Amino acid sequence: MSLLEIADLKVAFPGPTGPVNAVNGVSLRIESGQTLAILGESGSGKSVTAQAVTGILDVPPATVSGSVQLRGRELLTLSRKQRERVSGEEIGMVFQDAMAALNPVFTVGHQIVEVLRVRRGMSRADARRRAVELVDRVRIPAAKDRMRDYPHQFSGGMRQRIMIALAIALEPDLLIADEPTTALDVTVQAQVMELLAEIQRDSGMGLLLITHDLGVVAEVADDVAVMYAGRIVERGTVEQIFAGPAHPYTEGLLNSMPRVDRRDEQLYAIPGAPPNPARLPAGCPFHLRCPRATDECRVVLPPLLALPADRASACHHHEEVLDATRR
Amino acid sequence: MSAPVLTEQALPPAPAAPRRSFLSGYLRQPVVALSVLVLLVMAVLAVFAPLIADEPAGAGADVLQPPSGAHWFGTDDLGQDIFAQVVWGTRTSMVIGLAASLLAIVLGTAIGLAAAYFRPFDAVATVITDVMLALPTLPLMIMLAAVVSPSVTTLTLIIGFFAWPEVARLIRSQGLVISAMPYIDGARVLGATGWRIVTREILPAVVSLMVVSVLLTASRAVISEAGLSFLGLGDPDAWSWGRILLNAQRSGTIAIAWWQTLFPSLAILFLVLAATLAGTRFNDTRDPRRNGG
Repeated sequence: MSLLEIADLKVAFPGPTGPVNAVNGVSLRIESGQTLAILGESGSGKSVTAQAVTGILDVPPATVSGSVQLRGRELLTLSRKQRERVSGEEIGMVFQDAMAALNPVFTVGHQIVEVLRVRRGMSRADARRRAVELVDRVRIPAAKDRMRDYPHQFSGGMRQRIMIALAIALEPDLLIADEPTTALDVTVQAQVMELLAEIQRDSGMGLLLITHDLGVVAEVADDVAVMYAGRIVERGTVEQIFAGPAHPYTEGLLNSMPRVDRRDEQLYAIPGAPPNPARLPAGCPFHLRCPRATDECRVVLPPLLALPADRASACHHHEEVLDATRR
Repeated sequence: MSAPVLTEQALPPAPAAPRRSFLSGYLRQPVVALSVLVLLVMAVLAVFAPLIADEPAGAGADVLQPPSGAHWFGTDDLGQDIFAQVVWGTRTSMVIGLAASLLAIVLGTAIGLAAAYFRPFDAVATVITDVMLALPTLPLMIMLAAVVSPSVTTLTLIIGFFAWPEVARLIRSQGLVISAMPYIDGARVLGATGWRIVTREILPAVVSLMVVSVLLTASRAVISEAGLSFLGLGDPDAWSWGRILLNAQRSGTIAIAWWQTLFPSLAILFLVLAATLAGTRFNDTRDPRRNGG
């Protein structure tokens, strides 16, 4: 049994001209101790997918369908009460902007202590001790003294560490990190990613990493799912994807990454912009920007097809792409 | 001519800014200090009214005396001391003002927060609030006060009930901003219940708004109470500033005994002005956009 298994997940929001389909049938799976990166640009539906898993989309107006199973237990049909028990306890989340994701009017110590007291029924003293351990665990110097500080008194990287401490306070089996390093500068990014990877190794939890940063993916992910217009367009191990993508979108993403081993005059950019999720084009959603698009692409939506070596691609011309990219 | 040289000495070290607490920074403003002083004096008058003046009752010998050493604020047509009436009226006005305001704050905050966080409730709450705000409150209060027997309790309930919509609207608008903050999602991911999120995450963020609301609503409640009392719908057993004015009007002395209307009116003016100024200044002081963070 997988730790997390998402099948045919669909999320729609009501829009002025009809439903906006943010996620259109995503299926993926994460095992314990594994890191799956969902890669995609803004608006590809990667964050919404994560939010659907955490249950914070449960309120209207979003409509969520499909299946999200955590250790075989369906989450989408749970009642609110049952869902609250799963949250935090089994699924933790690290948000992109820690400044906004921590309550500005309480000290960080108070925020961690409260979670432990409410969810674990710990005494104030025990919760304090545990909170100091957690803050120390995320390598904040002088953890004990910093418990009394407010979120704004920490630097960006420190705040993100506090966020991580809060997310792992209840020892979840699955940690979802939604662009955890986007708001940080590069040197701090590396430290925070390293910390996340280390905590994951020690605790054996599954990590679902939402990112648009190929460098981060290459560094920490085991598997990669590339999303475009609310669909997974390619799935595989990180080695497979980086060595030879099987979808022109992934190919474009990799080409648009600056590389030290190539002397390009100009950095490649995928032409055009992602389609409006309220008005997806017919056929393959990527065909308008795809250099390999044919008539078939303009009419027929390519399904996510399993390829040899346990990978998958949603492209009519995946063989052609593979031949071109595998060097 | 030598160019001026900027050395380290040329820049005296900036003195470490004294860490002033929010409250002392607030009280240091002259307007605030004066307002708070007025409120304190009135509170003392209200609490210690029996020690300051005898409760005005019966008829006195000195009828319609202008202000003098014996009767600071003069006397009315029954020979009762206006100063005593104003002092005892302070009691009623402040009790009704505060109690009605607290009632309005509790109702308004509960409805405002619920509307801000529980989306389905919002539509209903907003419609009710808008309708309440559009209602002509004075005629309705008059109607209600005329139906029920007027007493300090019923006046408080009536005034408080008509004052909550403005509080609800204020709290809701701030609550909506907070509800959309990622830390609310964060709390939900950690499994916080809706009740917990509203009381522990959103409520603390609107507390300062509530303080402002208490003061502003109280001053409106004082005016409402005075108005209703002036219309003869006040508690006949309790002195109030409105009732002094009503007596002046009823006895026809309103045109000749200026002291009978001036002093209660001044009392209303000072209380309302002080509460309003203290409230708006509190709002300005806590707003980081006004005081540079």
